[in-house]
Amino acid sequence: MWRRSRGKVLTWGRGNSGQLGHGDMDCLLSPKIVMSLESYCITQVSAGWSHSGFVSDEGCVFTCGDGSFGQLGHGDYRSHCSPVKVSFFVNKHVEQIACGMRHSLVLLKDGSGNLLYGFGSGKRGQLGISIDRIKSVNAPEIIRGFDDVQIITITANADHNAALSADGELYTWGRGFGATSDFLSPQQSPSSLKFSKVALGWNHALVLSDNGEVFMLGGCHHGMLSNPEITTLSKHLSDGAVLERVPGLDGIKVVDIAAGAEHSAIVTEEGVIKIWGWGEHGQLGLGSSRDESSPKTVSLGVEVERKNGTVRVYCGSGYTYAISTFCS
Amino acid sequence: MSYDDVEIEDMQWNEELQAYTYPCPCGDLFQITKEELKIGEEIACCPSCSLYITVIYNAEDFADKKSNNNLEPPKRQPWTLLETFRMANGKLVL
Repeated sequence: MWRRSRGKVLTWGRGNSGQLGHGDMDCLLSPKIVMSLESYCITQVSAGWSHSGFVSDEGCVFTCGDGSFGQLGHGDYRSHCSPVKVSFFVNKHVEQIACGMRHSLVLLKDGSGNLLYGFGSGKRGQLGISIDRIKSVNAPEIIRGFDDVQIITITANADHNAALSADGELYTWGRGFGATSDFLSPQQSPSSLKFSKVALGWNHALVLSDNGEVFMLGGCHHGMLSNPEITTLSKHLSDGAVLERVPGLDGIKVVDIAAGAEHSAIVTEEGVIKIWGWGEHGQLGLGSSRDESSPKTVSLGVEVERKNGTVRVYCGSGYTYAISTFCS
Repeated sequence: MSYDDVEIEDMQWNEELQAYTYPCPCGDLFQITKEELKIGEEIACCPSCSLYITVIYNAEDFADKKSNNNLEPPKRQPWTLLETFRMANGKLVL
């Protein structure tokens, strides 16, 4: 999904659950404006496995796509192929929505502080709403554990979530990373570092510290999915519970991070993209389908690299987008 | 090596593919058919890549002559038709 600067939304890709929001269940090879949201100024979007979320500048949130796990938050298990307003939040101001595989998170801006809600599948604790595993809920329920904490950003992928506070603290919950067990409620990272960005894959999390360093939680599959012997060995080496600095980035200041299902990407202060992890589908952009266990530089071509501008990176499940914005 | 262990109840029945499916990290779906489950197969492959998952299920739930919500109604057996003919007038009628 792509949000244009004037608040319009374009969607494309797999659409057989109605997640593209065009009123049908067709897949699209190129971006198309979501017409039913044209009268709104959309400020934030999120693409889950087979459902999507859209937030407007006035604090409304819309969802569409597969609803069979309650992940659309409308109080039932119906699917929709056009965005439908989540009525639960009608008198509240929504800031962000994060869509995972079969669940969603919503962050509210509230007079007394920010509030977090979850709905959809909760079998891995990804809803963070109970001490027990919950099969699913189809209407938003508040996520406890953030008393006196101001959450400013949320992200979800697969069956887990991450949140960052205004003080730079990292919280994660849901399916564990690596060999750790699932967390049924938000856990604060014990690290004393301040973090500014977090990205989630299916088995790992990437976090960017205030001083431009990148750390990883989990990620035992990185660079090793194609080599089963090494994967088995790596599981014994690390239980994935500890934040580990990503090797090969010493002395490099990182300004952007992104995570696909099983690969990771960063952008340095110099505008250089480095990437590593699963490569079978060419998602590393290195010209081969080999996995890489440590960051490698991606070449965007001489024409792009010569121009002044900014580079950003985004990862889908098995693909990567690099966006270059040139200064005129 | 298996990418993940997934319980059959967490897989979704796909009518078009005629298979139980689960998301694959490449964007496609891991798939396993009822026939494969019947013979005790526990690997669900992705048609787009080398990854596969291990399906956790109770073999008895998919054995022949058993039905659950996701199975088609059992097909009529030949002996049922024969019995119908016999019953027409006390002897076999063709």
